[in-house]
Amino acid sequence: MKKVAICGIAQTKYEEQKIDLTISELVFEVVKEIHNKLNISNDDIGCVISSSNDFNDGRTIANMAIQDAVGSVRKAESRVSGDGAFAYVYGAMRILSGEYDTVLIVSHTKCSEGDQYLINNSIFDPFFQRHLGLDQISAAGLMANMYMTKYGISEQQAAKVVVKNRKNAMLNPYAHLQQKVSLEDVLESPMLAFPLKELEFPPFSDGAVAMLIANEEKAKELADTPVWLEGYGSCTDAYYLGHRNMSDLVGLEGAAKEAYKMAGISDPVNQLDVAEVYDAFSTHELMSYEALGFCEKGQGGNFIDTGATELEGSIPVNPSGGVLSSNPTMANGLIRVAEIALQLMGKAEKRQIADANIGLANGMNGICSQGNCVLIFGGGK
Amino acid sequence: MNLRGEYKLAKKDREDIFEIRWKTDLPYKYSIGKLSVKFFEVLKKERKLLGSKCPECGKVHFPPRGVCAECVVKMTVDDMVEVPPRGTLVGFTVINYPFVDPQTGGMRPFPYGYALFQLDGTDTYTMHFLDEKDHTKMEIGQRVEAVFKDEMEGNLGDIPYFKIIKEG
Amino acid sequence: MPEKVGIVGIGQTKFTSKRRDVNIPEMVYESVKMALDDAQLEPNDIDAILIGNMDHFEGINFSEMWCGIDAAPGYMKPVVKIATGGTTGSSLGICGYYNVASGIYDKVLVVGWEKLNEGGATTGIITAFDPVWERPSLAGALGPLALMANMYMNEFNVSPETAAMVTVKNRSNAANNPFAHLQMPNITLDYVMSSQTISYPLRLHDCCPQSEGACAVIYANEKEAKRITDNPAWFHSVATSHYYTFGCDDKMYDLPTATFASKKAYKKAGIKDPIKDLDVAEVYEPTSWAELSWTEALGFAEPGKGGNLLREGISQMGGELPVNPSGGVLSTNPIGATALVRIAEAAIQVMDRGEKRQVPDAEKALAMGFGGSLWTELAILGNEPPR
Repeated sequence: MKKVAICGIAQTKYEEQKIDLTISELVFEVVKEIHNKLNISNDDIGCVISSSNDFNDGRTIANMAIQDAVGSVRKAESRVSGDGAFAYVYGAMRILSGEYDTVLIVSHTKCSEGDQYLINNSIFDPFFQRHLGLDQISAAGLMANMYMTKYGISEQQAAKVVVKNRKNAMLNPYAHLQQKVSLEDVLESPMLAFPLKELEFPPFSDGAVAMLIANEEKAKELADTPVWLEGYGSCTDAYYLGHRNMSDLVGLEGAAKEAYKMAGISDPVNQLDVAEVYDAFSTHELMSYEALGFCEKGQGGNFIDTGATELEGSIPVNPSGGVLSSNPTMANGLIRVAEIALQLMGKAEKRQIADANIGLANGMNGICSQGNCVLIFGGGK
Repeated sequence: MNLRGEYKLAKKDREDIFEIRWKTDLPYKYSIGKLSVKFFEVLKKERKLLGSKCPECGKVHFPPRGVCAECVVKMTVDDMVEVPPRGTLVGFTVINYPFVDPQTGGMRPFPYGYALFQLDGTDTYTMHFLDEKDHTKMEIGQRVEAVFKDEMEGNLGDIPYFKIIKEG
Repeated sequence: MPEKVGIVGIGQTKFTSKRRDVNIPEMVYESVKMALDDAQLEPNDIDAILIGNMDHFEGINFSEMWCGIDAAPGYMKPVVKIATGGTTGSSLGICGYYNVASGIYDKVLVVGWEKLNEGGATTGIITAFDPVWERPSLAGALGPLALMANMYMNEFNVSPETAAMVTVKNRSNAANNPFAHLQMPNITLDYVMSSQTISYPLRLHDCCPQSEGACAVIYANEKEAKRITDNPAWFHSVATSHYYTFGCDDKMYDLPTATFASKKAYKKAGIKDPIKDLDVAEVYEPTSWAELSWTEALGFAEPGKGGNLLREGISQMGGELPVNPSGGVLSTNPIGATALVRIAEAAIQVMDRGEKRQVPDAEKALAMGFGGSLWTELAILGNEPPR
């Protein structure tokens, strides 16, 4: 399906606090970098799809603030309220409709500007769940405990995810956390929500990511190594945590099945060369291995033990360092797409996976993988 | 419940039964950007206003900001230019209804005059309070001037309002 | 191959100032169920769900993760939220169009909603603006709308009575629409003119109400649409035009984005003279003055002459181009649904299902969304598929 191509990518360095930049200036950095890298002007961009969240930005209609920065004067811009991977999907749909040749996709968050506990607590309904003080950390604790108990996953196996991703992040100049951590560091860090410890959660980051996508004809003009969309699936789990099977990521599994079907993937470990998953906490990545069919249900712990998901393994997962290393929340899904595109373009520098031709990226909305999308990309070189 | 979907209950009872009150205070700390920092520094120290001039098209923006929307190019503190605290009224209204001010959480006092005007030498329009609550005394085309506080603090409160002036 | 897109099912709740009897997902479900029944589809027939809501107004973050599951058939399906302020409903409607036009999904359910009395719209709208420069003096949407009216009135010497005629027309039309919020069948010009000035020159009845309610619309590709119904409403074009970050960077009364967007939408849909080629328009008029000025921007009248559309009967029911037979935004404004209601009502007209508000022989209809920093979004619908 050589119809939608990623032609260029720009990311800011992800950091704890970019206090000197307004959100508009932050977004402008990546937009201008796209112009410069592809040697295009704003006139070459058909329309813009952005992704942001009003609660994170502390601003109703948060995309109003970035209109100057994305160059949308007298032009069409629209906004997906949520994860950036879904903005990519909407942009791809505009290309597939035949009405636009090029679409600029932009996503940003400055976690440093808001109170992340209150913002995440607001995701829970105000009748039954919000009073309990639930947020993404306590919900993750529930999920991790149910998963680890059901399948006998050890704390060491969970901690290995953190060690791997933080090690990868050392090779990614954009990553926020750049210190290597040991298994002991993770296991001895303070307990935040049993059984999950502080280092098993991501930091909160400021940052933005942009990419230009195009149809086949334009892609030939704009990029030597375009990366093509090969498969897409999206699937949403139940809302109330009590309505969900908290020990398996059934929504992610559903999304993967659809994406694999579209891309003709029957044996993901052998057919995929690299994956970027939304590792919202340590065991979440192990659960993702299972939902994405990299291993059998309950085998996520054993799978990381084999080393298959290390940079040199059979299916490297999160060479970027993942969300556990950089977490500008709404941008996370689009960063996953960006990293896969860099890998398939052969531009991932020190963290480059050799001969990467097919890759998977996934995005997530809500709490504990409620809303999921899985994207399969191919081509590149 | 009757056919129109209304419960026949006293108002007080209806509220008790059907609503829960939720008062979340969601605080933020917004980065204002280097241009705004410079603006407030100069406002406080020199009692002057600065706009930002696009290095490409020359458009003078007030309030100052980091990106020229027309050219999609960056403006920095080096592109900031002084603009006079005087301008021309372009549109006005008098706000005469109650609402909660999100900055304070309390009711915003009303009525108050509120206007759109163009500062001399700028290419954009800007909004602010106007020290006039009687719309019959306002006219489009009138000259206006910023009023500064005696003790400047380096925030927008240093310009509590604009006033209508007569120029000779 | 790009797909042709039709509307095959519509559901609207009765809009009102306060729906005390239902919670958010229950209210949203009402419209979803009506749309499914209208299209005679089962929940499982839907491929994807798109939700429109300004989540800050009610204070529910990721509201689509709640409503997509507990109000719409989104379990184990894609659920995405589109939120762009006043244009939310049109951005949602346009997103639904691309979901199907792209060939990705065959049948998509879009639903926009707002329960405004559960939060604070004016307070919420203030936070849409710049925290340093704009929020201190801004008074929600009405302040800038009053400035626009003031400038328009001054530029073209238009009387407040001319604006009041818009309210009389639209609220009279609303009496023919069972879903409209404000029902004032006997409204008079004097009644509008004698209402309190709340933000000069806006009187109370120059302004839209705040409403609670939901609107759901089902989209299908050509094959499915023809299978589901004999008379889908077909999309002929969609267009969006945005503008500067700061709403006041330009004089705003003549809504330049409506001019840009309409040029694009008319070209694609083959509309040369909107008065002749369109049969009905659902215009997003948050104030009476806005309809005067924005119908001009859409090319229905020369600048400053919007009042003639009313005086000459052109935009009245029975005229050459009736504007807002539904009663418009002046009668009903559930923000996240408002612009989708424009699309739904335009569809109802070309499907010939408008009952008492039906414009005879409506073949082409225009729907408009307005919001954000003076953005315009348009959709042109027809009773025949586009060529």
